[in-house]
Amino acid sequence: MMKEHPPQEKTVEVRQSAGKSFLFALPMMLLTLMMMLGGRIPSDPQQLFVFAVTYLFFNVLFFLMLHTGKTDRYRAIAFITFSLLFVVSFVSHMFEARGSMSLSHEKIILCEVPFCHLVIPMTLIPAAFTKTIIFPGMITGGFASIASMFVIWIGASLSMGRGWCSWGCFFGGLDDAFSRILKKPLLRKINPRWTYLPWAVLLAIVLTAAAFLSPTYCTWLCPFKTVTEFQAVTSFKILVQTIIFVSLFIALVIVLPLLTKRRIQCSLFCPFGPMQALTNRINVFDVRIDPDICTNCKRCVKACPTLSITEESVRAGRTLMSCMKCGTCVDVCPSGAAAFHVRGTPVEENRNMKRLLFLYVAFLFLATFSAGMIQDGLSRIIRLITTGSMI
Amino acid sequence: MKRALKIAGYTWAVTCIVAVLATFIGNNYFNAKLASATGITISPWFSGGEIVGSIDHGTYKTVIRRPVFDGLIGERKEGFIQIEWQPVTVLPPVIEDRIDFTGDGKEDFAFRLDTTAGTGALTPRNPSVIAIQTLVKVNQGWVARIQLRKVS
Repeated sequence: MMKEHPPQEKTVEVRQSAGKSFLFALPMMLLTLMMMLGGRIPSDPQQLFVFAVTYLFFNVLFFLMLHTGKTDRYRAIAFITFSLLFVVSFVSHMFEARGSMSLSHEKIILCEVPFCHLVIPMTLIPAAFTKTIIFPGMITGGFASIASMFVIWIGASLSMGRGWCSWGCFFGGLDDAFSRILKKPLLRKINPRWTYLPWAVLLAIVLTAAAFLSPTYCTWLCPFKTVTEFQAVTSFKILVQTIIFVSLFIALVIVLPLLTKRRIQCSLFCPFGPMQALTNRINVFDVRIDPDICTNCKRCVKACPTLSITEESVRAGRTLMSCMKCGTCVDVCPSGAAAFHVRGTPVEENRNMKRLLFLYVAFLFLATFSAGMIQDGLSRIIRLITTGSMI
Repeated sequence: MKRALKIAGYTWAVTCIVAVLATFIGNNYFNAKLASATGITISPWFSGGEIVGSIDHGTYKTVIRRPVFDGLIGERKEGFIQIEWQPVTVLPPVIEDRIDFTGDGKEDFAFRLDTTAGTGALTPRNPSVIAIQTLVKVNQGWVARIQLRKVS
Protein backbone atom coordinates (compact mmCIF):
# COMPACT_ATOMS: atom_id res chain seq x y z
CA MET A 1 0.00 0.00 0.00
CA MET A 2 1.18 3.49 -0.81
CA LYS A 3 1.83 5.96 1.97
CA GLU A 4 -0.24 9.15 2.09
CA HIS A 5 1.67 12.13 3.36
CA PRO A 6 1.98 15.78 2.40
CA PRO A 7 4.15 16.85 -0.53
CA GLN A 8 7.78 17.13 0.33
CA GLU A 9 10.96 18.32 -1.32
CA LYS A 10 11.77 16.47 -4.51
CA THR A 11 13.46 13.26 -3.50
CA VAL A 12 15.09 13.12 -6.90
CA GLU A 13 16.70 16.33 -8.03
CA VAL A 14 16.53 16.82 -11.79
CA ARG A 15 17.80 20.41 -11.84
CA GLN A 16 21.36 20.91 -13.04
CA SER A 17 23.88 23.70 -12.50
CA ALA A 18 24.30 26.18 -15.37
CA GLY A 19 27.70 24.74 -16.27
CA LYS A 20 26.53 21.16 -16.27
CA SER A 21 23.41 22.09 -18.23
CA PHE A 22 25.53 23.88 -20.83
CA LEU A 23 27.78 20.84 -21.11
CA PHE A 24 24.83 18.50 -21.63
CA ALA A 25 23.24 20.97 -24.05
CA LEU A 26 26.38 21.13 -26.21
CA PRO A 27 25.67 17.92 -28.19
CA MET A 28 22.15 19.23 -28.89
CA MET A 29 23.61 22.56 -30.09
CA LEU A 30 25.85 20.71 -32.53
CA LEU A 31 23.17 18.29 -33.69
CA THR A 32 20.53 20.99 -34.20
CA LEU A 33 23.09 23.14 -36.04
CA MET A 34 23.90 20.24 -38.34
CA MET A 35 20.27 19.26 -38.92
CA MET A 36 18.92 22.79 -39.32
CA LEU A 37 21.66 23.93 -41.70
CA GLY A 38 21.42 20.85 -43.87
CA GLY A 39 24.91 21.50 -45.21
CA ARG A 40 24.51 25.14 -46.27
CA ILE A 41 24.56 28.49 -44.50
CA PRO A 42 21.73 30.83 -45.58
CA SER A 43 23.14 33.55 -47.85
CA ASP A 44 20.18 35.92 -47.62
CA PRO A 45 20.52 38.18 -44.50
CA GLN A 46 16.83 37.78 -43.60
CA GLN A 47 17.05 34.00 -43.87
CA LEU A 48 20.22 34.04 -41.79
CA PHE A 49 18.48 36.13 -39.14
CA VAL A 50 15.47 33.80 -39.08
CA PHE A 51 17.79 30.79 -38.87
CA ALA A 52 19.71 32.33 -35.96
CA VAL A 53 16.49 33.17 -34.09
CA THR A 54 15.13 29.64 -34.57
CA TYR A 55 18.42 28.05 -33.59
CA LEU A 56 18.71 30.17 -30.45
CA PHE A 57 15.04 29.59 -29.62
CA PHE A 58 15.47 25.82 -29.57
CA ASN A 59 18.78 25.72 -27.81
CA VAL A 60 17.79 28.18 -25.10
CA LEU A 61 14.68 26.06 -24.46
CA PHE A 62 16.75 22.88 -24.27
CA PHE A 63 19.24 24.52 -21.91
CA LEU A 64 16.36 25.67 -19.69
CA MET A 65 14.89 22.16 -19.69
CA LEU A 66 18.14 20.83 -18.34
CA HIS A 67 18.86 23.71 -15.99
CA THR A 68 15.41 23.97 -14.39
CA GLY A 69 14.49 20.28 -14.58
CA LYS A 70 11.14 21.25 -16.13
CA THR A 71 10.20 19.41 -19.29
CA ASP A 72 6.63 20.26 -20.24
CA ARG A 73 6.97 24.00 -19.60
CA TYR A 74 9.61 24.42 -22.32
CA ARG A 75 8.37 21.62 -24.56
CA ALA A 76 5.02 23.38 -24.77
CA ILE A 77 6.63 26.65 -25.88
CA ALA A 78 8.42 24.89 -28.74
CA PHE A 79 5.47 22.65 -29.60
CA ILE A 80 2.87 25.43 -29.66
CA THR A 81 5.18 27.74 -31.63
CA PHE A 82 5.64 24.91 -34.13
CA SER A 83 1.89 24.45 -34.59
CA LEU A 84 1.13 28.15 -34.92
CA LEU A 85 3.93 28.82 -37.39
CA PHE A 86 3.10 25.63 -39.29
CA VAL A 87 -0.37 27.05 -39.89
CA VAL A 88 1.11 30.42 -40.96
CA SER A 89 3.57 28.69 -43.29
CA PHE A 90 1.08 26.20 -44.76
CA VAL A 91 -1.70 28.70 -45.34
CA SER A 92 0.73 31.19 -46.93
CA HIS A 93 1.94 28.44 -49.26
CA MET A 94 -1.65 27.62 -50.19
CA PHE A 95 -2.40 31.25 -51.00
CA GLU A 96 0.82 31.50 -52.96
CA ALA A 97 0.14 28.35 -54.98
CA ARG A 98 -3.65 28.43 -55.35
CA GLY A 99 -4.82 31.85 -54.24
CA SER A 100 -6.93 30.39 -51.42
CA MET A 101 -7.08 27.70 -48.74
CA SER A 102 -9.63 25.75 -50.68
CA LEU A 103 -8.69 22.62 -52.49
CA SER A 104 -9.75 22.65 -56.13
CA HIS A 105 -10.96 19.64 -58.14
CA GLU A 106 -7.92 20.24 -60.32
CA LYS A 107 -5.46 19.53 -57.47
CA ILE A 108 -7.39 16.39 -56.54
CA ILE A 109 -7.43 15.12 -60.14
CA LEU A 110 -3.71 15.90 -60.49
CA CYS A 111 -3.03 14.09 -57.16
CA GLU A 112 -1.17 17.08 -55.70
CA VAL A 113 -2.79 17.23 -52.26
CA PRO A 114 -0.24 17.39 -49.38
CA PHE A 115 -0.30 14.21 -47.31
CA CYS A 116 -0.39 14.24 -43.51
CA HIS A 117 0.16 11.58 -40.86
CA LEU A 118 -3.53 11.49 -39.87
CA VAL A 119 -4.28 9.69 -43.14
CA ILE A 120 -1.87 6.83 -42.40
CA PRO A 121 -4.24 4.58 -40.38
CA MET A 122 -6.78 4.65 -43.22
CA THR A 123 -4.27 3.76 -45.90
CA LEU A 124 -2.89 0.57 -44.37
CA ILE A 125 -5.64 -1.99 -45.15
CA PRO A 126 -6.27 -0.75 -48.73
CA ALA A 127 -2.48 -0.67 -49.30
CA ALA A 128 -2.17 -4.26 -48.10
CA PHE A 129 -4.99 -5.49 -50.35
CA THR A 130 -4.66 -3.33 -53.44
CA LYS A 131 -1.06 -2.02 -53.30
CA THR A 132 -2.45 1.49 -53.70
CA ILE A 133 -2.77 4.51 -51.43
CA ILE A 134 -6.27 5.94 -51.11
CA PHE A 135 -5.21 9.56 -51.16
CA PRO A 136 -4.85 12.10 -54.00
CA GLY A 137 -1.23 12.90 -53.16
CA MET A 138 2.19 12.21 -54.61
CA ILE A 139 4.05 9.03 -53.69
CA THR A 140 7.44 10.77 -53.83
CA GLY A 141 8.67 14.28 -54.63
CA GLY A 142 6.86 17.56 -54.24
CA PHE A 143 5.54 19.02 -51.01
CA ALA A 144 4.58 16.54 -48.22
CA SER A 145 4.75 13.40 -50.29
CA ILE A 146 3.20 10.17 -49.04
CA ALA A 147 6.44 8.16 -48.83
CA SER A 148 8.30 10.92 -46.98
CA MET A 149 5.49 11.19 -44.40
CA PHE A 150 5.56 7.42 -43.93
CA VAL A 151 9.33 7.56 -43.33
CA ILE A 152 8.86 10.33 -40.75
CA TRP A 153 6.08 8.32 -39.09
CA ILE A 154 8.23 5.16 -38.92
CA GLY A 155 11.16 7.18 -37.54
CA ALA A 156 8.91 8.85 -34.96
CA SER A 157 7.36 5.55 -33.92
CA LEU A 158 10.74 3.91 -33.47
CA SER A 159 12.25 6.82 -31.59
CA MET A 160 9.39 8.25 -29.52
CA GLY A 161 6.34 6.05 -29.92
CA ARG A 162 3.33 8.01 -28.81
CA GLY A 163 5.65 10.84 -27.83
CA TRP A 164 4.92 11.95 -31.42
CA CYS A 165 1.65 13.45 -30.16
CA SER A 166 3.50 15.85 -27.86
CA TRP A 167 6.78 16.35 -29.66
CA GLY A 168 6.16 15.89 -33.39
CA CYS A 169 2.54 16.44 -34.42
CA PHE A 170 2.13 19.82 -36.11
CA PHE A 171 -1.54 19.95 -35.11
CA GLY A 172 -1.21 18.93 -31.46
CA GLY A 173 0.16 22.29 -30.37
CA LEU A 174 -3.13 23.98 -31.21
CA ASP A 175 -5.25 22.24 -28.58
CA ASP A 176 -2.24 22.20 -26.26
CA ALA A 177 -2.23 26.01 -26.56
CA PHE A 178 -5.95 26.39 -25.89
CA SER A 179 -5.75 24.01 -22.91
CA ARG A 180 -3.27 26.35 -21.26
CA ILE A 181 -5.15 29.63 -21.53
CA LEU A 182 -7.25 29.45 -18.35
CA LYS A 183 -5.58 29.05 -14.96
CA LYS A 184 -8.19 26.64 -13.65
CA PRO A 185 -10.55 24.34 -15.52
CA LEU A 186 -14.22 25.30 -15.68
CA LEU A 187 -15.22 21.73 -16.52
CA ARG A 188 -13.52 19.33 -14.16
CA LYS A 189 -15.31 16.05 -14.47
CA ILE A 190 -14.72 14.04 -17.62
CA ASN A 191 -16.15 10.56 -17.69
CA PRO A 192 -13.22 8.17 -18.24
CA ARG A 193 -15.35 6.26 -20.75
CA TRP A 194 -14.68 9.05 -23.25
CA THR A 195 -11.10 7.80 -23.48
CA TYR A 196 -12.42 4.87 -25.56
CA LEU A 197 -13.77 7.28 -28.18
CA PRO A 198 -10.50 7.62 -30.18
CA TRP A 199 -10.38 3.83 -30.47
CA ALA A 200 -13.92 3.85 -31.80
CA VAL A 201 -13.03 6.65 -34.24
CA LEU A 202 -9.94 4.72 -35.35
CA LEU A 203 -11.93 1.53 -35.90
CA ALA A 204 -14.70 3.39 -37.72
CA ILE A 205 -12.40 5.26 -40.09
CA VAL A 206 -10.22 2.24 -40.82
CA LEU A 207 -13.28 0.15 -41.71
CA THR A 208 -15.07 2.84 -43.69
CA ALA A 209 -11.87 3.79 -45.54
CA ALA A 210 -11.37 0.15 -46.50
CA ALA A 211 -14.99 -0.23 -47.52
CA PHE A 212 -15.24 2.96 -49.58
CA LEU A 213 -11.56 3.20 -50.59
CA SER A 214 -11.62 6.81 -49.50
CA PRO A 215 -9.91 8.65 -46.60
CA THR A 216 -13.15 9.12 -44.66
CA TYR A 217 -11.60 10.97 -41.70
CA CYS A 218 -10.11 13.58 -44.04
CA THR A 219 -13.32 13.91 -46.00
CA TRP A 220 -15.76 14.11 -43.12
CA LEU A 221 -14.14 14.71 -39.75
CA CYS A 222 -10.65 16.20 -39.69
CA PRO A 223 -11.00 19.45 -37.69
CA PHE A 224 -7.60 20.70 -38.79
CA LYS A 225 -8.84 21.33 -42.30
CA THR A 226 -10.12 24.58 -40.80
CA VAL A 227 -6.56 25.86 -40.47
CA THR A 228 -4.93 24.15 -43.46
CA GLU A 229 -6.94 23.35 -46.58
CA PHE A 230 -10.43 22.20 -47.42
CA GLN A 231 -12.49 21.40 -50.46
CA ALA A 232 -14.17 24.38 -52.08
CA VAL A 233 -17.91 24.35 -51.29
CA THR A 234 -19.44 23.44 -54.62
CA SER A 235 -22.22 21.12 -53.49
CA PHE A 236 -24.58 20.49 -50.57
CA LYS A 237 -22.50 17.45 -49.54
CA ILE A 238 -19.32 19.54 -49.28
CA LEU A 239 -21.25 22.19 -47.35
CA VAL A 240 -22.30 19.55 -44.78
CA GLN A 241 -18.70 18.31 -44.56
CA THR A 242 -17.50 21.88 -44.03
CA ILE A 243 -20.01 22.51 -41.25
CA ILE A 244 -18.91 19.27 -39.54
CA PHE A 245 -15.16 19.90 -39.59
CA VAL A 246 -15.43 23.56 -38.61
CA SER A 247 -17.78 22.63 -35.71
CA LEU A 248 -15.37 19.91 -34.59
CA PHE A 249 -12.49 22.37 -34.69
CA ILE A 250 -14.34 24.91 -32.60
CA ALA A 251 -15.54 22.29 -30.10
CA LEU A 252 -12.55 19.94 -29.81
CA VAL A 253 -9.59 22.20 -30.46
CA ILE A 254 -10.78 25.50 -28.98
CA VAL A 255 -13.75 25.36 -26.59
CA LEU A 256 -13.34 22.05 -24.76
CA PRO A 257 -9.57 22.31 -24.23
CA LEU A 258 -10.17 25.85 -22.96
CA LEU A 259 -12.86 24.72 -20.49
CA THR A 260 -11.24 21.49 -19.31
CA LYS A 261 -7.53 22.33 -19.53
CA ARG A 262 -7.13 18.97 -21.27
CA ARG A 263 -6.02 18.20 -24.83
CA ILE A 264 -9.47 17.02 -25.86
CA GLN A 265 -8.88 16.59 -29.61
CA CYS A 266 -5.63 14.68 -29.03
CA SER A 267 -6.83 12.48 -26.19
CA LEU A 268 -10.53 11.99 -26.91
CA PHE A 269 -10.95 12.13 -30.68
CA CYS A 270 -7.81 11.89 -32.83
CA PRO A 271 -7.56 8.40 -34.39
CA PHE A 272 -3.83 8.69 -34.92
CA GLY A 273 -3.23 8.69 -31.16
CA PRO A 274 -4.51 5.14 -30.57
CA MET A 275 -2.46 3.93 -33.50
CA GLN A 276 0.62 5.53 -31.95
CA ALA A 277 -0.33 3.86 -28.66
CA LEU A 278 0.07 0.56 -30.52
CA THR A 279 3.37 1.49 -32.19
CA ASN A 280 4.50 2.75 -28.78
CA ARG A 281 4.87 -0.91 -27.81
CA ILE A 282 8.11 -1.04 -29.76
CA ASN A 283 9.41 2.17 -28.18
CA VAL A 284 11.92 2.12 -25.36
CA PHE A 285 10.80 5.24 -23.49
CA ASP A 286 7.85 5.52 -21.11
CA VAL A 287 6.83 7.40 -17.98
CA ARG A 288 6.85 5.52 -14.68
CA ILE A 289 5.78 6.41 -11.17
CA ASP A 290 8.02 5.05 -8.45
CA PRO A 291 5.66 3.76 -5.72
CA ASP A 292 8.44 3.96 -3.12
CA ILE A 293 8.68 7.73 -3.31
CA CYS A 294 5.13 8.56 -4.48
CA THR A 295 3.29 10.57 -1.83
CA ASN A 296 -0.09 9.86 -3.42
CA CYS A 297 -0.84 13.58 -3.71
CA LYS A 298 -2.68 12.91 -7.03
CA ARG A 299 -1.30 16.07 -8.64
CA CYS A 300 -0.30 14.05 -11.69
CA VAL A 301 -3.84 12.67 -12.02
CA LYS A 302 -5.28 16.19 -11.91
CA ALA A 303 -2.66 17.74 -14.18
CA CYS A 304 -2.35 15.13 -16.93
CA PRO A 305 -3.68 16.91 -20.05
CA THR A 306 -4.40 13.62 -21.80
CA LEU A 307 -6.22 11.76 -19.00
CA SER A 308 -3.45 9.18 -19.02
CA ILE A 309 -2.97 8.87 -15.27
CA THR A 310 -5.59 7.42 -12.94
CA GLU A 311 -5.36 6.46 -9.29
CA GLU A 312 -5.13 2.81 -10.37
CA SER A 313 -2.35 3.53 -12.82
CA VAL A 314 -0.44 5.45 -10.12
CA ARG A 315 -0.76 2.41 -7.87
CA ALA A 316 0.55 0.27 -10.71
CA GLY A 317 3.44 2.71 -11.17
CA ARG A 318 2.62 3.38 -14.83
CA THR A 319 0.76 5.75 -17.08
CA LEU A 320 -2.01 4.53 -19.39
CA MET A 321 -1.26 3.68 -23.00
CA SER A 322 -2.67 7.07 -24.05
CA CYS A 323 0.36 8.77 -22.43
CA MET A 324 1.96 11.22 -24.89
CA LYS A 325 5.15 11.69 -22.85
CA CYS A 326 4.57 15.45 -22.58
CA GLY A 327 6.22 15.55 -19.17
CA THR A 328 3.42 17.40 -17.30
CA CYS A 329 3.27 14.74 -14.57
CA VAL A 330 7.06 14.75 -14.29
CA ASP A 331 6.98 18.55 -13.82
CA VAL A 332 4.18 18.65 -11.23
CA CYS A 333 5.25 15.66 -9.16
CA PRO A 334 6.44 17.15 -5.86
CA SER A 335 8.48 14.12 -4.86
CA GLY A 336 9.98 13.27 -8.25
CA ALA A 337 8.22 9.89 -8.32
CA ALA A 338 7.00 10.44 -11.89
CA ALA A 339 9.91 10.21 -14.27
CA PHE A 340 10.91 9.34 -17.81
CA HIS A 341 12.06 5.75 -17.98
CA VAL A 342 13.96 3.44 -20.28
CA ARG A 343 12.36 0.01 -20.59
CA GLY A 344 14.36 -2.86 -19.16
CA THR A 345 16.07 -0.66 -16.58
CA PRO A 346 15.20 -0.34 -12.86
CA VAL A 347 12.79 2.57 -12.25
CA GLU A 348 14.76 4.07 -9.39
CA GLU A 349 18.12 4.08 -11.17
CA ASN A 350 19.80 6.89 -13.17
CA ARG A 351 16.66 9.00 -13.53
CA ASN A 352 18.53 12.05 -14.80
CA MET A 353 20.30 10.06 -17.47
CA LYS A 354 17.04 8.47 -18.65
CA ARG A 355 15.37 11.86 -18.84
CA LEU A 356 18.34 13.23 -20.73
CA LEU A 357 18.25 10.33 -23.20
CA PHE A 358 14.53 10.85 -23.82
CA LEU A 359 14.99 14.60 -24.18
CA TYR A 360 17.81 14.17 -26.68
CA VAL A 361 15.58 11.97 -28.83
CA ALA A 362 12.31 13.86 -28.52
CA PHE A 363 13.74 17.38 -28.61
CA LEU A 364 16.04 16.60 -31.52
CA PHE A 365 13.04 15.24 -33.42
CA LEU A 366 10.94 18.31 -32.61
CA ALA A 367 13.72 20.77 -33.48
CA THR A 368 14.65 19.04 -36.74
CA PHE A 369 11.11 18.44 -37.92
CA SER A 370 9.80 21.88 -37.05
CA ALA A 371 12.79 24.12 -37.81
CA GLY A 372 12.03 24.53 -41.51
CA MET A 373 8.36 25.37 -40.89
CA ILE A 374 9.17 27.71 -37.99
CA GLN A 375 11.71 29.54 -40.15
CA ASP A 376 9.28 29.82 -43.04
CA GLY A 377 6.51 31.00 -40.69
CA LEU A 378 8.81 33.63 -39.18
CA SER A 379 9.91 34.80 -42.65
CA ARG A 380 6.24 35.17 -43.63
CA ILE A 381 5.51 37.25 -40.52
CA ILE A 382 8.53 39.49 -41.20
CA ARG A 383 7.32 39.85 -44.80
CA LEU A 384 3.86 40.76 -43.52
CA ILE A 385 5.29 43.45 -41.24
CA THR A 386 7.63 44.90 -43.86
CA THR A 387 5.53 44.58 -47.04
CA GLY A 388 1.97 44.10 -45.79
CA SER A 389 1.67 40.68 -47.42
CA MET A 390 2.68 37.18 -46.36
CA ILE A 391 3.04 35.85 -49.91
CA MET B 1 19.34 -11.26 -17.06
CA LYS B 2 18.61 -7.92 -15.39
CA ARG B 3 21.99 -6.60 -16.45
CA ALA B 4 21.45 -7.76 -20.03
CA LEU B 5 18.04 -6.08 -20.10
CA LYS B 6 19.55 -2.89 -18.74
CA ILE B 7 22.30 -2.84 -21.35
CA ALA B 8 19.75 -3.60 -24.10
CA GLY B 9 17.48 -0.80 -22.82
CA TYR B 10 20.21 1.85 -22.80
CA THR B 11 21.58 0.71 -26.16
CA TRP B 12 18.11 0.90 -27.65
CA ALA B 13 17.63 4.37 -26.17
CA VAL B 14 20.89 5.63 -27.72
CA THR B 15 19.92 4.00 -31.03
CA CYS B 16 16.79 6.15 -30.99
CA ILE B 17 18.98 9.27 -31.40
CA VAL B 18 20.52 7.63 -34.47
CA ALA B 19 16.99 6.79 -35.70
CA VAL B 20 15.97 10.46 -35.49
CA LEU B 21 19.07 11.57 -37.41
CA ALA B 22 18.55 8.85 -40.03
CA THR B 23 14.86 9.74 -40.42
CA PHE B 24 15.66 13.26 -41.52
CA ILE B 25 19.09 12.93 -43.13
CA GLY B 26 18.05 9.85 -45.09
CA ASN B 27 14.45 10.85 -45.76
CA ASN B 28 14.89 11.21 -49.54
CA TYR B 29 16.74 7.91 -49.79
CA PHE B 30 14.35 6.02 -47.55
CA ASN B 31 11.19 7.38 -49.16
CA ALA B 32 12.43 6.48 -52.65
CA LYS B 33 13.37 3.00 -51.36
CA LEU B 34 10.01 2.59 -49.64
CA ALA B 35 8.15 3.54 -52.80
CA SER B 36 10.18 1.27 -55.08
CA ALA B 37 10.33 -1.69 -52.68
CA THR B 38 6.58 -1.73 -52.07
CA GLY B 39 5.66 -0.79 -55.65
CA ILE B 40 2.81 1.22 -54.19
CA THR B 41 0.87 3.63 -56.40
CA ILE B 42 -2.01 6.05 -55.99
CA SER B 43 -5.43 4.41 -55.99
CA PRO B 44 -7.13 4.62 -59.43
CA TRP B 45 -10.10 6.18 -57.63
CA PHE B 46 -7.88 9.25 -57.34
CA SER B 47 -5.37 8.92 -60.19
CA GLY B 48 -8.02 7.97 -62.75
CA GLY B 49 -6.48 4.61 -63.62
CA GLU B 50 -3.89 3.62 -66.23
CA ILE B 51 -3.95 5.07 -69.74
CA VAL B 52 -5.21 2.49 -72.22
CA GLY B 53 -5.42 4.52 -75.38
CA SER B 54 -5.25 7.90 -77.03
CA ILE B 55 -6.70 9.48 -80.16
CA ASP B 56 -4.58 12.02 -82.01
CA HIS B 57 -6.64 14.89 -83.43
CA GLY B 58 -3.71 16.99 -84.67
CA THR B 59 -4.01 20.08 -82.49
CA TYR B 60 -5.06 18.07 -79.44
CA LYS B 61 -5.32 14.49 -78.27
CA THR B 62 -7.90 12.50 -76.36
CA VAL B 63 -6.52 10.24 -73.66
CA ILE B 64 -8.63 7.30 -72.48
CA ARG B 65 -7.95 5.64 -69.15
CA ARG B 66 -9.19 2.22 -68.10
CA PRO B 67 -12.61 1.96 -66.46
CA VAL B 68 -12.19 1.95 -62.68
CA PHE B 69 -14.34 -0.50 -60.73
CA ASP B 70 -11.64 -1.56 -58.24
CA GLY B 71 -12.82 -2.59 -54.80
CA LEU B 72 -10.88 -3.75 -51.77
CA ILE B 73 -11.53 -7.32 -52.86
CA GLY B 74 -12.91 -7.87 -56.35
CA GLU B 75 -14.79 -5.22 -58.25
CA ARG B 76 -17.59 -2.81 -57.46
CA LYS B 77 -20.84 -2.35 -59.32
CA GLU B 78 -20.27 1.37 -59.80
CA GLY B 79 -17.20 3.02 -61.21
CA PHE B 80 -16.03 5.63 -63.68
CA ILE B 81 -13.90 6.18 -66.72
CA GLN B 82 -11.59 9.17 -67.07
CA ILE B 83 -11.18 10.90 -70.41
CA GLU B 84 -8.68 13.72 -70.90
CA TRP B 85 -8.30 16.25 -73.68
CA GLN B 86 -4.76 17.58 -73.87
CA PRO B 87 -3.66 20.31 -76.28
CA VAL B 88 -0.77 19.57 -78.63
CA THR B 89 -0.96 23.17 -79.83
CA VAL B 90 -4.38 24.44 -78.83
CA LEU B 91 -7.77 23.00 -77.88
CA PRO B 92 -10.61 23.87 -80.27
CA PRO B 93 -13.61 25.77 -78.82
CA VAL B 94 -15.82 22.69 -79.23
CA ILE B 95 -14.66 19.08 -79.06
CA GLU B 96 -16.85 16.17 -80.10
CA ASP B 97 -15.50 12.71 -79.35
CA ARG B 98 -16.89 9.24 -79.74
CA ILE B 99 -15.40 6.87 -77.20
CA ASP B 100 -15.22 3.09 -77.36
CA PHE B 101 -13.72 2.00 -74.06
CA THR B 102 -14.88 -1.62 -74.24
CA GLY B 103 -12.87 -2.19 -77.43
CA ASP B 104 -15.72 -3.96 -79.20
CA GLY B 105 -15.68 -1.55 -82.15
CA LYS B 106 -18.94 0.05 -81.04
CA GLU B 107 -19.19 3.55 -79.68
CA ASP B 108 -19.94 3.53 -75.90
CA PHE B 109 -20.64 7.22 -75.53
CA ALA B 110 -20.29 10.51 -77.30
CA PHE B 111 -18.98 13.57 -75.50
CA ARG B 112 -19.33 17.18 -76.52
CA LEU B 113 -17.02 19.55 -74.67
CA ASP B 114 -17.40 23.30 -74.96
CA THR B 115 -13.95 24.47 -73.84
CA THR B 116 -14.88 28.15 -73.75
CA ALA B 117 -18.04 27.72 -71.65
CA GLY B 118 -16.56 24.82 -69.65
CA THR B 119 -19.58 22.60 -70.20
CA GLY B 120 -19.93 19.03 -71.36
CA ALA B 121 -22.75 16.93 -72.80
CA LEU B 122 -22.79 13.16 -72.61
CA THR B 123 -24.71 10.92 -74.98
CA PRO B 124 -24.63 7.33 -73.68
CA ARG B 125 -24.72 4.58 -76.31
CA ASN B 126 -24.08 1.79 -73.82
CA PRO B 127 -26.38 1.04 -70.82
CA SER B 128 -23.37 1.00 -68.46
CA VAL B 129 -22.67 4.70 -69.13
CA ILE B 130 -24.62 6.77 -66.61
CA ALA B 131 -23.67 10.44 -66.34
CA ILE B 132 -20.89 13.03 -66.12
CA GLN B 133 -19.37 12.80 -62.64
CA THR B 134 -16.73 15.51 -62.93
CA LEU B 135 -15.59 17.93 -65.61
CA VAL B 136 -12.53 19.93 -64.63
CA LYS B 137 -10.02 22.14 -66.40
CA VAL B 138 -6.57 20.79 -65.61
CA ASN B 139 -3.49 22.77 -66.64
CA GLN B 140 -4.22 23.55 -70.32
CA GLY B 141 -6.54 20.60 -70.91
CA TRP B 142 -9.80 19.15 -69.62
CA VAL B 143 -10.61 16.02 -67.63
CA ALA B 144 -13.99 14.31 -67.48
CA ARG B 145 -15.02 11.42 -65.29
CA ILE B 146 -17.99 9.49 -66.59
CA GLN B 147 -19.98 7.45 -64.12
CA LEU B 148 -20.34 3.79 -65.09
CA ARG B 149 -22.44 0.95 -63.77
CA LYS B 150 -21.79 -2.72 -64.44
CA VAL B 151 -24.58 -4.27 -66.44
CA SER B 152 -24.99 -8.01 -66.13
